[in-house]
Amino acid sequence: MNLSRTKIGAILAAPTVVYMVIFFVVPSLILFSYSFWSSESYRVVPDFVFTNYLDSLHSAVFWKVTINAVRIGLTTAAISLVLAVPVGYYLVYVSRSQTMLYLILITWFSSYLVRIYAWRTLLGTNGVLNAVLLQLGIVDHPVDAFLFSSFAVTITLVHIYLPFCILLVTSSLSEIKPDLIDAARDLGTSSLGAFFRVIAPNAANGLAGAFMLTFILVAGDYVTPQMLGGSSGQTTGLLIADQFRKTGNWPLGAAQAFVMFVISIALYFILVSLGRATGLIVKRRTINPKGI
Amino acid sequence: MAAIAPIIEIRNGTKMFGSFTALADINLSINQGEILTLLGPSGCGKTTLMRLIAGFENLTSGTIQIGGVDIANIPPERRPVNMVFQRYALFPHLDVFENVAFGLKVKGMPKEERTERVNRMLHIVQLESFANRYIDQLSGGQCQRVALARALVNGPKVLLLDEPLAALDLKIRQHMLAEMKRIHIETGATFVYVTHDQDEALILSDRVVLMEKGRVVQVDRPTEMYAKPKSLFAAKFLGETNIFETTITAVNGIGTTARTSSGIQFHSSETLTKKPSEKIAVSIRPESLTFQHKNPDAQSAECVVDDIVFMGSRSFYTVRLNDQSKVRVQVQRDGRLSVPSPGDKATIFWDASNVVMLPRD
Repeated sequence: MNLSRTKIGAILAAPTVVYMVIFFVVPSLILFSYSFWSSESYRVVPDFVFTNYLDSLHSAVFWKVTINAVRIGLTTAAISLVLAVPVGYYLVYVSRSQTMLYLILITWFSSYLVRIYAWRTLLGTNGVLNAVLLQLGIVDHPVDAFLFSSFAVTITLVHIYLPFCILLVTSSLSEIKPDLIDAARDLGTSSLGAFFRVIAPNAANGLAGAFMLTFILVAGDYVTPQMLGGSSGQTTGLLIADQFRKTGNWPLGAAQAFVMFVISIALYFILVSLGRATGLIVKRRTINPKGI
Repeated sequence: MAAIAPIIEIRNGTKMFGSFTALADINLSINQGEILTLLGPSGCGKTTLMRLIAGFENLTSGTIQIGGVDIANIPPERRPVNMVFQRYALFPHLDVFENVAFGLKVKGMPKEERTERVNRMLHIVQLESFANRYIDQLSGGQCQRVALARALVNGPKVLLLDEPLAALDLKIRQHMLAEMKRIHIETGATFVYVTHDQDEALILSDRVVLMEKGRVVQVDRPTEMYAKPKSLFAAKFLGETNIFETTITAVNGIGTTARTSSGIQFHSSETLTKKPSEKIAVSIRPESLTFQHKNPDAQSAECVVDDIVFMGSRSFYTVRLNDQSKVRVQVQRDGRLSVPSPGDKATIFWDASNVVMLPRD
C-alpha cells in the first residue's frame, strides 16, 4: 500500500474523531436543542422557546450559585497555580526527577470520595483539627466553622486538583530550556528575575491554560462543594444536576449548562485579553525554533 | 597580540562532580584582548572550565580571579563576563532588538542610551534590518549573530563562547569564523572560545589550551602547537599525523636517532634527555613527507602506493611501508613533477626538522 501522509493521518485520527462525534458532539447538540424545548409536568416537549435561557438569566438563585461556582473555581485555580509553579519549577529545573512527579500524581490513585470524607474527618466538629486545637488550649469549644464553609471547600478542592495543575504547569515549563535561565542570569538577572523576565513570559500561555483547565474542572465539581460547603457550597453544577435528577426539567438544565459553558469561555477570553493587555501573555512563539 | 596583563587567572582549579574529577589542578592565565581557545575532545572539562568562569559552577578548590578580583562568591549576574551559549539560548518571546537590549535593560540603562548601544551592536553584527524579527524567523547564522550581539553589547571584560558554531553547517561556520575575528577586532574584548574542532581553534586563536581528561595538556600558539606538540595526544588531536613506534638508538650532540623494529630510521636534530634502547613515538605530518629527493640530508623509506584521494590543490596518498604499516602522504599539486600511481613502488623522504619525537602515552 502506498498512502500519502495526509491519508495516513486521517486514518490514524479517525477512531478518536468518530468516537468524539458520536459520544460528545452529537449528545451536545441534542442537549443544545433540548435547551429550546419546554417541559410540562415532568415531560419534555419539543418546542422552540427561549424561556429556559431567560428564566435562568432572570433567576436570582441561578446567579447566586453561578457566582459561587465561579468564585470557588477562580480561588481554587489561583491558589493551585501559585502552589504549582514553584513545584513545577523545582521538578523541571532543579531536581529533574520523574519520581517526584509520580509521587505527586499518586494521590490520584486514592478515591475522590475517600479524600472528601478524609477532609470531613479532619475539619468536622469532632475532627482532628478541632481535637488538636482543644488539646493545645487554643479554643475552648470545637469550632463548627471549619466544615461547611468556603474554607473547607477551597482547601479540599485545592488538594484534589493541585496535582492536575502541577502536571500541566510541569509540562508547560519543560518546553522551556534551562539554558534560558543561565542566559538571563549571565545578562544580569537574579534567579527570581530570570523566572519573571524569561520563564514566566514564555510559559504564560501554558500557565494560563493550566489555570483555565483547573478552573473548569473545579467550577463544574458539585460534589465537593456540596459535601464540605453545606449551604455555602451550592454551585451551578448542583443546580443543573437537580434539573435532570429531581425536577425532571431537562430543557432548563440544558439551558443552564450552556450558560455556564458560555461563561467559562468568556472568562477564558477575559483572562487572555487581560494578560495580553498587561503584556503578561505574549503572542505565542515557537519556543524551540528549528529544533536547535 | 595585545597587552600581557592577564585578565583571568586560574590557580590550582579543581572541580569535582561527586567522585568524578572534571578538572584537576588547572593553572591558566588568560591575557587581555586575546582569543584563547579551550580545545579538547568531549568530556575533557573545557565546558566545565567555561561555566566556572561564567559562574554557573563553583570550584571545589583553587581560585579564579577576573581583573585581579577573586570571583568565588560573585554570582553569574554580577561577573564582568558574558556568554554565547552553544544553542544560543535566545529568548523566544522577545524580538532581535529586545534580545540584544535585555542585559542593558536589566541594568537599568536609560532608554535612549540603550537604544543607541543596541543599534550600534546590531550594526556590528550586520543585523540592523532584522531588529524587529522574532527568533523563530531567523536562520542559524543570524541566531548566532544575535547571541554574539546580546553578549557583547554589555561590554564584558571577557566574552565566553561555548562551541558557538557547533549547530551551524560547514559553509556558514567558515563564514562565521571570519565574522568572529572581525567582531573581535572591532570590539577589542577578550574571547575565551570552547571547541572540539581543531580547525576552529587553529583559525581563530591567539593561543590554544589543549585539554584532556580534566587536565591542561599544552598551552601554545596554534603554529607552535601544530609544529611542536609536546605529547602524542597533542600531535594526534591537532591535525593529522603519522605515528611510528621506535626505539632510541643514539642520543648525542647532533640530535637523537631512533629506529622502528622493521629498521626504518628517524633522526631528529633535537637532543632528548632519553637514553638509547628507550621506547619513543615519532610523529611526522603527511605534508612533511614527499616523493621528491630534494634535500641530500633527507631520510627515507621504501614503500608501495596503496590509494590516492584527489582533493583539488592537493592529494592524499596512502602508502604501505615494508612492515605493512600505512602512512599518509600529502602531495601539493604541481604539474611539473611526476608522482607515483597506485601499485607503484616509491620512496618517501623527510627532513630531520619535521621529525617530532614524543614520549609514548
